[in-house]
This record gives sequence, C-alpha cells and structure tokens, in this order.
Amino acid sequence: MDFSYSPQEERFRADLRAWLADALPPGWGETVFEPEDEDERAMFRLAWERKLHSGGWSGINWPVEYGGRGATLVERAIFAEEMARVGAPEGLNIIGHNLAGSTILRHGTEAQKKYFLPRILSSEDVWCQGFSEPNAGSDLASVRTRAERRGDKFIVNGQKIWTSFAQYSQWCFALVRTDPDAPKHKGLSFLLIDMKSPGISIRPLRQISGECEFNETFFDDVEVPVDNIVGDINDGWRIAMTTLAYERGPEDALGRQIRFSQELEKLVGTVAATPRGGAKLIDDPIVRQKLARSITEVEIMRLNAVRTFSKYLNGDDRGPDASIIKLYWSHAAQNMYEAAMDILGPTAPIAAPDPLSAGGGRFQLSYLQSKAFTIYSGSSEIQRNIIGERMLGLPR
Amino acid sequence: MNFGFNEEQKSLGETVAALLADFPALTGPDPAEARDPAVWQALADLGLFALLVPEAHGGVGLTLVDVALAIEALGAGLAPPIAASTLIATDIIVRAGTAAQQASLLPRIATGELRIALAMLENGQGYDPDAVQTVMGGNGVTGSKILVPDADVADLLLVLARIDGRIGLLLVARDARGVSIRRHADIDPSSGLCEVTLDGAALMDGALVGHAGSGDVVPRLMDAAAIVYAGMAMGMAARMLDASVDYAKTRVQFGQPIGAFQSIKHRCADMAVAVEAGRSAAYYAFWTAAENDPDRSRAASMAKAYCGEVARDVCNETVQIHGGMGFTWELGLHRFLRRAKVLEHGFGNHVWHYERIMVETLAAQAVGDKAQAA
Repeated sequence: MDFSYSPQEERFRADLRAWLADALPPGWGETVFEPEDEDERAMFRLAWERKLHSGGWSGINWPVEYGGRGATLVERAIFAEEMARVGAPEGLNIIGHNLAGSTILRHGTEAQKKYFLPRILSSEDVWCQGFSEPNAGSDLASVRTRAERRGDKFIVNGQKIWTSFAQYSQWCFALVRTDPDAPKHKGLSFLLIDMKSPGISIRPLRQISGECEFNETFFDDVEVPVDNIVGDINDGWRIAMTTLAYERGPEDALGRQIRFSQELEKLVGTVAATPRGGAKLIDDPIVRQKLARSITEVEIMRLNAVRTFSKYLNGDDRGPDASIIKLYWSHAAQNMYEAAMDILGPTAPIAAPDPLSAGGGRFQLSYLQSKAFTIYSGSSEIQRNIIGERMLGLPR
Repeated sequence: MNFGFNEEQKSLGETVAALLADFPALTGPDPAEARDPAVWQALADLGLFALLVPEAHGGVGLTLVDVALAIEALGAGLAPPIAASTLIATDIIVRAGTAAQQASLLPRIATGELRIALAMLENGQGYDPDAVQTVMGGNGVTGSKILVPDADVADLLLVLARIDGRIGLLLVARDARGVSIRRHADIDPSSGLCEVTLDGAALMDGALVGHAGSGDVVPRLMDAAAIVYAGMAMGMAARMLDASVDYAKTRVQFGQPIGAFQSIKHRCADMAVAVEAGRSAAYYAFWTAAENDPDRSRAASMAKAYCGEVARDVCNETVQIHGGMGFTWELGLHRFLRRAKVLEHGFGNHVWHYERIMVETLAAQAVGDKAQAA
C-alpha cells in the first residue's frame, strides 16, 4: 500500500496545476461563478470542457491514438483531485466522456473508435443516453423502442425518457429492441444515433429542482445506418452492461466526489460565518457532529474510488464493485444535503434568489437535485439486488 | 499510489484468522470460557508480536500497514484484547521509546514475554487525554484508571499520567507496589475490563516513554489505538456480514430461503457497502500511521468514528436477520455485539472523533484562508 506519488505522477500534477492557474477565469470561485441561467450554464460548461481539451487535459487515461493522453488510472485520480482543489466547473459532455466513449473504446469497431472518440474528447460531439423508457426504468431489459432492419439501415420508433442534456447533444446511444420475439434480454441492440436525424423530437421534462436537464426523446421512423451498431445485432444487453459499469464505477464517482467536496467546503464556510442567537452556528455541537459525519462520508467516497482503481490496477476485473460505489455515494451525498438543510435550521426553506438564502441558495437546489441520485444510473433497489445476488450470492 | 495489500500482508491476515479458528471457545457463546491463555502463546509462537519490532531488537521491522489485515483478523476472531494493546504499545515504544527502553523491552515483546495493557481513561473524565488526573509524584504514580482491557493478565501497564504538568506515558509493572486491580462488571466479560488503582505505584526504571522526545507521543498513541480498534471493528463487521449472508441462504421461511426476500437481501447489500466503506477508511488510516503522514489524526478519527458505527450497525442487523435465533445465548452472536460495544467506546467513540474532525477541518480551513490572504 502506497499513497505517495512517483516523480512522473508529481510532474503530471505540477503541469496540471500550472495550466489550471491560467485557465480558470480570474476570481473563479471567489467573485466569479457559473452562470445561473440553465442554458448559459450549459454553454459555460461546454466551453470549459473544450478549453480542457485544447490544453491536452481531456481523456486522461484514453489511448493516445484516439486523442487521449495515454495516462494511468492514478493520473486520472490526480486529475480529479486537482480539479477539486481549484473548484473547477463540471463538464457538459460527461455522458460522452464517461459512458459513450468508454463503451465504444471497449466494444466499438476500429472505424467507430477512429471517428467518434476524438470528437467526444474535443466535445465537438455532446452525447446523451437513450436507455430509460416510461415503462423500462429499473426493469431496463423491457425497453420497447423498436429498431427494424431494412437493407443497410435500422428504422427506429419509440420513446426514451430522462434523456439528460438531449437538447445539447449531437449523438445519442440507445438500447433498442431488434427482436421482439426473443426473451427480453436477448432481443436488444446498442445503436449510435445522430440527433440531427429527421424524426427525432425532444420535450423538456421539468424536474423537482425546477430545472430541465432531463428530457423525453421521441423517435419517429428515424433512420440509423447499420454501421452505427455497437457489437452484434441482439447483443445490446451485454454492451449496455459495460456502459452501466462505467456509469456506476469509480471514474464517475471520483468526478462527482469533486462536486460534493466543494459543496461541503462551501457549507462549512457558510456555517462558520452564520450567526445564531448571539453565538455562531458552527459552535453548536450537533451541527459539528452532522458536518463531521458528512466530511467523513465524502472523504470515503474518494477512498472507495481510489481503492477500486487499485484493484483494477492489481489485475481484478470490473464486477459488482461498481454497484457498491454507486450505492454508497448516492446515499452519502443525499445525507449530506439533508444534513445541510438540518443545519441551516429556520432559514433552510429560503431559496435563491432571496437575499437571505444561505450560500446563495445552492444548498436548497442541491438538496432537491440530490433526490435523483438514488434513482438514476440504476435505483438503489436495483443496486442492492445486484450486490445481494452477484456479490453475496443470495438467491434470486 | 496503490491502495491495496500485497500477498504477504494478505497471507498474514489469513494465518492469524486460521490460528484463532483453532480456538472455537474464543467466539463461542460463553464469554467466561473465551479467555484461554493458550491463545496468547499461540499468537506469540506465530511471531505476531515480533512483527512491529525492528530487526535490531529481534523483530521483523514491519509497519502498521503490514499488520492491518492481521489486526482485522484479531477483531473477527474476538482475540484477547491484550494482543491489540501490546501491538499498540509496541508501536509507541518503537517510535518514542528511549534507547534503553527499546533495548530492554522490544526483544521481550518480540518473543511474547511481555503483555502490555493500556491504562488511559478515568472515571468522570470522558475520552480527552488532556483531562487526565493521575499524577506522577515523588514516590510514584497515583490515580485511578478504568476500563483497562486485560489489565489483570498484563505484565506491564502503559499509564497515561500528568508528569511535571505535561501529559505523558509511564510504564508500571502490573505486580509493582501500590498497584491494585479489580475486574469490572461489564457488557463484555471476555474483554477483561479492569479498574486499576495506583497508590504511589512504583515506576519501572526509565519509566517515562517519550518524555524527552517530541510532544507527539500521546497523540500518536491515541491515533494508533483508534486505528487498530477501527481495524478490529471492521474484522468483526465483515464476519457478521458473512454470518448474515450464510444464514439468509439457508434459513427457509414461507417456502424460500429468506435471502430471496428483498427485505433481507437489501439489508445484506447495505451491510456489504458499509463494510467496504469502513475498510476504505480504516486501511487509509493504517497507511497514514505507518508513514506518520500529516493526515494521520484526521484519518484516524474518520476511521474510528465511522468503523465504530458500521460495526455497531452490522452487529445489530445480524441479530435481527437471525430473528429469534439471533437473540439466543446459544448462537453466540451476542459475543460480537458485546465486543463491538467495547471497541466502539475504546479510545474515543464516534461523537468524540467527529468533534476532533471538525477541529482539524476548521483549523485547516483557517490555514487555507491565511495562505490566500497572504
């Protein structure tokens, strides 16, 4: 066991730090923040992601031949640490980088890799995920969006839901039914769909938080070239499982951990500056207990991810550990926002843009957003089934 | 960067687990039968107590990371607490002992000749080492210590005391003049918790540990002990998870193994997640202690607070999943529940350690603010 870094890793960190010092807008995190308007914020995040790419900081551990940096998983972890340290913005094309890219890298044809991967890294193409449907959420294998093969094309008809960032996306990877007569896991295929194709329409879905990050996406006789299938026809379930392993795995968790540790730091700072009944809120022992528990849980998120990276580096395969990571972070993060609301006490309900909202109202918004954590990427109930059955060997 | 154990470290953990399994009474239902002196000798023969002793003093010269899985096995096997106490004391003597103390004590620790108990807490004082009232005076050390695990079977006591107005550690022979020991009535009789009364108790020659050295000796002891206790708690939690899963696979109700019911399956999954998260915290803390990393105290507190809560919760769930059987004396799950409670409250419970995390966090933030202002 060794948490120290090699000279090469230290150099990677120093280079990144030096680059970041110039790359972030002056006053970032102090006087300058992300735009409040949802669309402006999305464009800001896209611009940031493209800036990272132009600096050579995209696809840290992807092969150089597909536009990546060819670095190690450890360097990938260092990247996450440094992004956390400076409070860097989140990217917009997370689904492209973490899910579409990882899946194409693993299962795509050489032509698919050569075409799509560099465009993902540069965020020229933003991606969305067409998995969930109104009647196929947790029971993902029951998707009904159909794709019929006609010559060198698939004709896609159906509806997807919870399509995050569909309104900004150039591409969608979708799980579609290509054999309605096969058992439900066996009749699915994994298609890459150009969002400019005629017949696609998007309807924003307003969420608990009031935002419209998610959408409903409709496919009406959408033509998809057969070359855009990943894996074989009717082999989509196996491909989708790879996507899900990345969606739930340590790479994703480490990226999120950045966000959560930043929010927690802001919470501690806010509480330290908040008066309460002639004293300071930070001196309340119950507040301190809640904060410390969240500090511990968020730190463990990082340790879990790094520990799982090490397992992979030491030769273990990816398995149900992705579900462990996802189940842990989603509940720990929810606990943290619940704690934030508890701690704020009487002012907890005051949200943005009210001038009296604590921390600019970010904790109220995050609290509402956090309700999705234990539902998307496979609900907690699904993760518990996976852990119970595949890791602990309990009967189905 | 590699957050994993090597083959030797894993094998050491397995060896200790296998050795303890040869003493079924350790985890059997009756705590009165769990205190077999042969266990100590077997662990000593295995060489456990030589591991942390430097080679120059007849040991193997390993670090706390190397023994982390062995310590987990001590927890899982409900080993006599004096084994962990002696390993913690060894760490302190290796890091902070004088040359004379090292030369005289370490070779005997390595062979298993010396059992060392840790006498820290006092009645009415909470967990804070700074609050200690026991005092070294002209004719020895005077005070009263409570909750000293296995004091009655120890050879030496490592005593937290006020020395010339500072807090430090003293070595007192268990059979020295002025030492009297009384067994507590307590929730886990197999922990051998004792009250130790020191009435001008005679000190050993060169009794002060680390007095002339850095001021880190007491914080180091608190951290190392918290980490070792966190490690043992995770060993227990992992074993209870296994017991729950095994039972859920075989116990049939309503015509099915109960593990097929989501109400049981999901609780087992939650326990598995808690065990992995606790291990992440504990293993990292072991590393910070082995390297004396600047993050040591924070990591120790996170591990102790979190792992204590995990072990407590998992033991509770295990009894619940076993239903009526879980509540019986005969099945013996109560032994783990009892020991978990002792570990949870040894060397600071979660409330004490969470407060310490806040102090560290706010101090670090103040340093950060100052650096930014400058």
